[in-house]
Amino acid sequence: MRLVIADDEALLREGLARVLEDSGFEIVGLCGDAEALLPMVEARRPDVAIVDIRMPPGHGDDGLVAAQEIRRRHPEVGVLVLSHYLDSRYAARLLEEVPAGAGYLLKDRVSEVAVVADALRRIADGDCVIDPTIVSRLVARKRARGPLDVLTKRERDVLALVAEGRSNGAIGEQLFLSRKTVDSYVSQIFAKLDLHESPEQNRRVLAVLTFLRSG
Amino acid sequence: MSDLRARWLPWVGVAALVAVAAVSVAIVRREPELTLAGEHDAALAAGLLAAVLLATAALATWRAGAVFSVLLVGTALAWLVSEWNTQAAGPAFTPGLVLYAAWPALLAAAALHGLDEQRPSRPAVVLLAVAFGSGIGVLGVASAVVFDPAAQGCSECPTNLLLLASAPGLGSALGHIGLALTAAWAAAFALLALVRIVRASPARRRWSAPVLVPAVAAVLLWGFEAVHGLERGFFSNDPTDRTLRLVQAAALGLVAVGVALARLRARRTRAALAQLVLDIGAAPMPGEVRAWLAQSLGDPTVTLLYRLEDGEWVDAEGREAALAPAGDRETTRVRIAGQDVFAVVHRPGLLDDPTLLSELVTTASLALEHDRLHAACRASLEQLRASRARIVAEADSQRRELEHDLHDGAQQHLVAVALSIRLARRSLGPDDAQLEARLATAEAAVRAAVVALRDVAHGLFPAVLAEEGLAAALEELSEQVPRLVPRALPSGRFPSDVESAAYFATLESLRLTRDDVTVDAVAEDGRLRMVIGAGNQTDSTMLQIQDRVGAVGGTTAVCEGQLTVEMPCAW
Repeated sequence: MRLVIADDEALLREGLARVLEDSGFEIVGLCGDAEALLPMVEARRPDVAIVDIRMPPGHGDDGLVAAQEIRRRHPEVGVLVLSHYLDSRYAARLLEEVPAGAGYLLKDRVSEVAVVADALRRIADGDCVIDPTIVSRLVARKRARGPLDVLTKRERDVLALVAEGRSNGAIGEQLFLSRKTVDSYVSQIFAKLDLHESPEQNRRVLAVLTFLRSG
Repeated sequence: MSDLRARWLPWVGVAALVAVAAVSVAIVRREPELTLAGEHDAALAAGLLAAVLLATAALATWRAGAVFSVLLVGTALAWLVSEWNTQAAGPAFTPGLVLYAAWPALLAAAALHGLDEQRPSRPAVVLLAVAFGSGIGVLGVASAVVFDPAAQGCSECPTNLLLLASAPGLGSALGHIGLALTAAWAAAFALLALVRIVRASPARRRWSAPVLVPAVAAVLLWGFEAVHGLERGFFSNDPTDRTLRLVQAAALGLVAVGVALARLRARRTRAALAQLVLDIGAAPMPGEVRAWLAQSLGDPTVTLLYRLEDGEWVDAEGREAALAPAGDRETTRVRIAGQDVFAVVHRPGLLDDPTLLSELVTTASLALEHDRLHAACRASLEQLRASRARIVAEADSQRRELEHDLHDGAQQHLVAVALSIRLARRSLGPDDAQLEARLATAEAAVRAAVVALRDVAHGLFPAVLAEEGLAAALEELSEQVPRLVPRALPSGRFPSDVESAAYFATLESLRLTRDDVTVDAVAEDGRLRMVIGAGNQTDSTMLQIQDRVGAVGGTTAVCEGQLTVEMPCAW
């Protein structure tokens, strides 16, 4: 799998590249600021771009803005945003225009190579991956009223795991349910959230987006 | 002018009036058919009444307009003297010859001077010069010098003490010239008065027109009498003259009524202002003086500005205010003892009424001074609040900077360190199990540090608050603290100090209770109103929130477990 890595911290950028190369990924480009990212993606055509949210020139959410631009122009290129922020709104922003092939992980995950590698593969497959820490915070909060009110507690648990990027099989293992039961929960969720029109892949991401936006 | 205000002067006026009136009555009674009043007692009485009314009006306004009052008394006396120009006058004959045509000029002078003691304009000075020149100079003195009664067929006339040489031709010419000049200046006076009335502001017009209009009428009637007598070359007492004389008396009476009206209006203003002081009492509430002024001046838009010791102008709330009027407003500064003390911002012309301002100062100065001190107090409180707001803003900005630094610096480096450890672990051989275990521990510790640092950075200042505003920040906070239940929140942006005060109030409420905390907020009328629902809130635990909210000029209130925070957000 071909990757581009954008992070202004050289040590981190190089380190991540080496770790991922060791895990069998092909690194086709490295850059240190948001403005250089888009031309690099256009030139090298990676499968996934790994983007630090906070980069020059603005040191605000420049990385996220660049990631959104990539998704708008090249929806076939997956994007994994690395962030120090637990705010689910950033993740929602990433997904809202092209609901497929994107992920939002907290930066301290990068040394957990297995997690990052798994996320990259799911993103390349068109899935979406949200950091479990963010997902669990969303599940824990008490909503006055929200779009997820129509779901049962169990359905919400399943949706949270979908948001983390788990497959139905993995969800079944985690919740001690059969694959079939999980399938039926998932289609139930799609039905309740009015998502039956889209293709399967998009439905999962749209359900996650609804989850992220349930505020 | 102080000599004109002498206490004895009005009594001199009264004595003169009584004496002159007595002489006039005696003259008219002796040979009525030769006088302007004629044989009817009613006509004589009307003439006397006009003089008495004028004199009374003059005496009543003695304080308000000294020169005006003297001129008005002069008019009354001259009006009576105009009957002395007959053979029955005896020793009064010569003064009668000189002064019989003096009263219109005196009346014109009084009217142009006005109750408000205006300095006459240049056209007014020229006009009055012509008026006195023709009335007393040409028709009076000059004509008397060449008038020999005996030579002109009045054998019973008393001696003309001023006669130098009899010159009937010259006398007739002077009469014609005098009458023509009289008609001319009467018309000019009417025009001048009209211009003055039209140009005056409504307040000043209300004040001056009641005097000016009847005065114009009287002078025009005199001018008309001059035109009537132009062919024969002198004023006389034919039926037309007598009728005109009666109407002139009526006009003079109206002048007196006009003066009384103006006087009444001033009294009413003073009474209203006095009532204001009584109503306000010793300690007016802020804004009360303004409201009462607006009511008694009849301008609901009146506002007051106060001058502080340092020369700055503030409004009643102590906020800095510009003295220059905006739009069609007018500012009148009020000086007490040579010092600017306050200013009234009002609709144009409202304070043109000359007595109003002085009444305002004398009557309401105590209440106004009280209000001024109050405004000064508010101003220093406002300065204090502003300085508190600056301190909070400075602290906020330092925390934001620190949050940036932690994210961009320390956290990035720590993540890089964790990665490096991971790389080091990979390069270890199979027999380095012990080292591998230590490095794994180190890596875990570094990752824990990253997480801890993230929490610290977030606690310093949430980036989302600065970037996306209050609603987003509270949503985000609810992800971090599930007990927080944000409900209806305004999605718009507010001044950053208001946003961070609102965020802080929520954070502090969460700290104070273990229960769920709901937050509702609404922005209306330029205020952000936030209701934080959490059990057992009390005032004493709210001090920090009060400080923070107070720094942006807001208020807090606790009621039945609900904390209501209100902050101005559009200034």
